[in-house]
Parts: sequence; C-alpha cells; structure tokens
Amino acid sequence: MPTREKIRQFIMNELVADGSGSELSDTVLLIDSGVIDSLGIMSLLGFLEENFSIQISGEDLVPDNFATISTISDFVAQKSL
Amino acid sequence: MDFELTDEQKVWKETIIKFSRQELAYDIAAVEKSGEFPWDAWRKCAEMQILAMPFAEEYGGCGVDFLTTVHSLNSLGYACKDAGLVHALTTQILCGLQIALFGNEALKLRYLPSLCRGEKVFAQAITEPGSGSDALSMRTKAEKQGEAFILNGSKTFITNGPMADVVIVFAVTAPEKKTLGGISCLVVEDGMEGFSKGKPLEKMGLTTLQNGELFFDNCEVSCDRLLGKEGQGAIIFNESMEWERSLLPAVHLGTMERILEISVKYAKERSAFGKAIGNYQAVANKISRMKMNIELGKGILYRCASLKGRNKRAPLDASICKLFISESLKQACLDAVQIHGGYGFMCEYEIERDLRDSIASTIYSGTSELQHNIIARFMGL
Ligand SMILES: Cc1cc2nc3c(=O)[nH]c(=O)nc-3n(C[C@H](O)[C@H](O)[C@H](O)COP(=O)(O)OP(=O)(O)OC[C@H]3O[C@@H](n4cnc5c(N)ncnc54)[C@H](O)[C@@H]3O)c2cc1C
Repeated sequence: MPTREKIRQFIMNELVADGSGSELSDTVLLIDSGVIDSLGIMSLLGFLEENFSIQISGEDLVPDNFATISTISDFVAQKSL
Repeated sequence: MDFELTDEQKVWKETIIKFSRQELAYDIAAVEKSGEFPWDAWRKCAEMQILAMPFAEEYGGCGVDFLTTVHSLNSLGYACKDAGLVHALTTQILCGLQIALFGNEALKLRYLPSLCRGEKVFAQAITEPGSGSDALSMRTKAEKQGEAFILNGSKTFITNGPMADVVIVFAVTAPEKKTLGGISCLVVEDGMEGFSKGKPLEKMGLTTLQNGELFFDNCEVSCDRLLGKEGQGAIIFNESMEWERSLLPAVHLGTMERILEISVKYAKERSAFGKAIGNYQAVANKISRMKMNIELGKGILYRCASLKGRNKRAPLDASICKLFISESLKQACLDAVQIHGGYGFMCEYEIERDLRDSIASTIYSGTSELQHNIIARFMGL
C-alpha cells in the first residue's frame, strides 16, 4: 500500500473520533480541525517511526510537518531518503 | 531486554547509597521546621555530579547513559530520606534534558554547565491557577513584538519556583492555532524585568521542596531565548513527559525498596499474641504486595529507561510506569504505617513523612486519572 494510503488508514482508524467517518482528503488540516490533538500526535509519531523505520526528533517535531496527510507523507519520504 | 546491572551502574549505585548515608543523613524534621531549602545537601549532590549525569561532557556533564542515570536516582530515592531534596534535584535534571534535547547550541552552552554544577536552580512552568491536567489550555501569553516576546500571565505549584534562577516557561504564542501549534517554550531568567516569584507554598508533604507561583507582567523575552521552534511547545511538553515519567518513578521505586526493608524488619521484630507480627498473613500479605509491586515496577521502569536511552518513543510505557509506580508507592506507604501500628503514626519512625510525601507522586507529572486516560487513548478508546 502506498505511504499516503497507509497514513490515511491509520488516521481514519485510530485518530478520527467516530471511526468510520467520511473521506479524509490529502489537504484537510488535521491539527486545525482537531483530528490530531496533543495525544493523537503521540500515536501518530509512534506509527510513523515503526512503520517507515524512521526516527523523528528535535527540529522535525514541528506541527507543520503533520498538518495534512500530504505534508506527513512528504515528510516521511524525505526522512526515508 | 537484559537488565543485568553493568559494572558502571553498580559503581554509581553503591557510591550514591554510601554518599547519601554519609552526607544526606541530616535531621529532616529540623529542616522542615526551619522552612529553609537544604542548600548544603544540594551543593554536596552537585559535587557528587548527580545533576550532571546524563549530559554530554562538552556541556559539563558526565555523559552517562539514561538507564544508568535512572539506576542512580533509584539509589538516591532509596538511601536519601529527604524526598523534597530528591524531587528538586530530579526537576533540575529534567529541565536540563529539555535544554539538551531542544535547545540551540547557544542555550546549551549558556545553561547546561551551571545546571550541572548546581550553581543555578532551574524550574519548568506549565501549570496555571486555572489549568493543570488540561495543561495545554493555559492562558499565559507570549506576544511577538519585533525580536522579542512579551510574556503575560502566571504559573503555580512550580517546583524550585521560589528559588529559581532560570525557568522554562510554556506560553501561548498563537492563540488562533490549536494547542499543538500554538504554544512555545521560553527560557526566562531571574532578574528580568516583569518577572517575579511568589513565596514557597505550604504543603502536606515534600516539605523541604519549594513550590510556588511565578508572575509575568509584560516581561520582555528576546527571541533567542526560544527553546525549540516557535509553536513547538506542546510537542516539547509531550516529549519531556516521557523522560519525566521514567525518571521520577525511578526515585519512587527506590523509596519503596526502603519502605519494604523497614517493614520487613519491623514485622520480624515486633511481636503480638506471642508471635512476630510477620507471622500473621494479614501483615505478611501487605509486605508481599510491596515486593511484588517493586519487581513489577522494575520491569516497566527499566524498559522505559532503556527505550528513552536509545531515543525511542515510549509514551504508553511511560504513562504505565508513572501510574503503576506512584500508586504502588502510595499503597506501600499506607501499608507501612499500618504495619507499624501507633508507631507508624508517630513522627519518630519517619514513615508518616514518606506517606505524606508519596501523595504528591500521583498528582504531579500528570495525575493518575490522566495516565489512565492516556493509556485508554492508546487502546483506541
Ligand atoms: C509537589 C508538586 C509539584 C509540582 N511541580 C510542578 C512543576 O514543577 N511545574 C508545573 O508546571 N506544575 C507542577 N505541579 C502541578 C501539577 O502538575 C498539577 O497539580 C497536576 O497536573 C494536576 O493539575 P491540577 O492541580 O490543576 O488539578 P486538576 O487538573 O484541576 O484536577 C483535579 C482532579 O480532576 C481530575 N481530572 C482532571 N481532568 C480529568 C479527566 N479528563 N479525566 C479524569 N480526571 C480528571 C484530576 O485527575 C484530579 O483528580 C506540581 C504539583 C505538585 C503537587
């Protein structure tokens, strides 16, 4: 499954409050719309590190990197280089 | 994971136990009554390099790995009966970890050496009169004006606050954003205009520790005092909690080990109805529960410390660790008082102090209820 879809699936299953919810587009603002909150980001970081074998620390830990599905998958791609 | 102690860990543990028994065996009740902070003991701990342990040598640290630091603080919690002093020291180390993990080179060079030497006292300020568990709903604001932030608001219950030289302050920098991007961390120094400190608050336990309010009234903080990036505050908070929820329980587990030893000794020596009270199951069961919780606590503590030492993420483990060990400590102290009967209630045996001190462990660094919430969230609830 492509990175973007894996991330989407994780967010839909684990972070969207009512689970089944409607589609989540690549550009929906996840933090501003409340999909990712302060606890949700901890789960997301764990998921990204485990599934894409990357380490996220220090300067990478800025909200902008996790703003949308699109920015998250770009970030993962760049970390995986 | 293999948690057999290394030679280095054994040396640190033995040295700290010996040091504590020789140098930190002062009359705590007298210090409590005086209302003073035990500065002499603080300086001795700094000389022992306890504050410097996990920091890189280029910043004045010892370059010791995190698991070894955890083992050492465990020994300090075991051998030093002044839990207030130990909490003050641990808070200083936690502030240092925040600076080491997120500070730029200039901040690290400026602050870590004096932190390691204990010359400056550090505090971290998150809680406010109106927000504790819901920490990120804080009201303290830092408005950017040119090359500075103008800080306004107040913080409360801050450990080391009344005597702090340097405070890591969490404040809202972008109110329009959700908390994740709207909070930042600023390093404020005593003496800066608009920054003032309240008197130590009176508490039921941890009496030698100083906790208090901090006030910011148009306090101008230059942008180069930003810890991490603007908007990174909530993430720094989360990350710091993982370290904190591994380090504080190390101390608590040490205290529990001391409580167990005292309880076993008393249960063997005290007799009632012609037998040592330890022969009665109702007493022995309390002691076996202490032992069980210590061994279970070690498992989760070492796992957390080892994960953090390898820079791995451990939010769930850290919450379990904090919750389990702090609740176990509180229970162990209650049981120890009960095992000691009337003597347990009297100050002379010093167990009542451990009980009073232990209550705070289920409140600071996120209450037990909050740890349950975090664990439940990770279970998808
Ligand atoms: C000794 C000590 C040292 C401290 N040091 C520091 C420090 O150095 N820096 C700092 O910033 N703060 C510090 N604190 C403050 C501490 O972190 C807070 O007291 C703690 O987070 C709880 O916040 P609160 O007191 O506002 O309680 P509240 O948040 O008002 O909670 C009251 C009660 O409601 C429960 N509750 C709240 N929300 C929920 C929920 N969603 N679900 C279930 N139960 C809930 C709580 O568990 C608690 O039982 C310290 C506190 C103490 C006692």
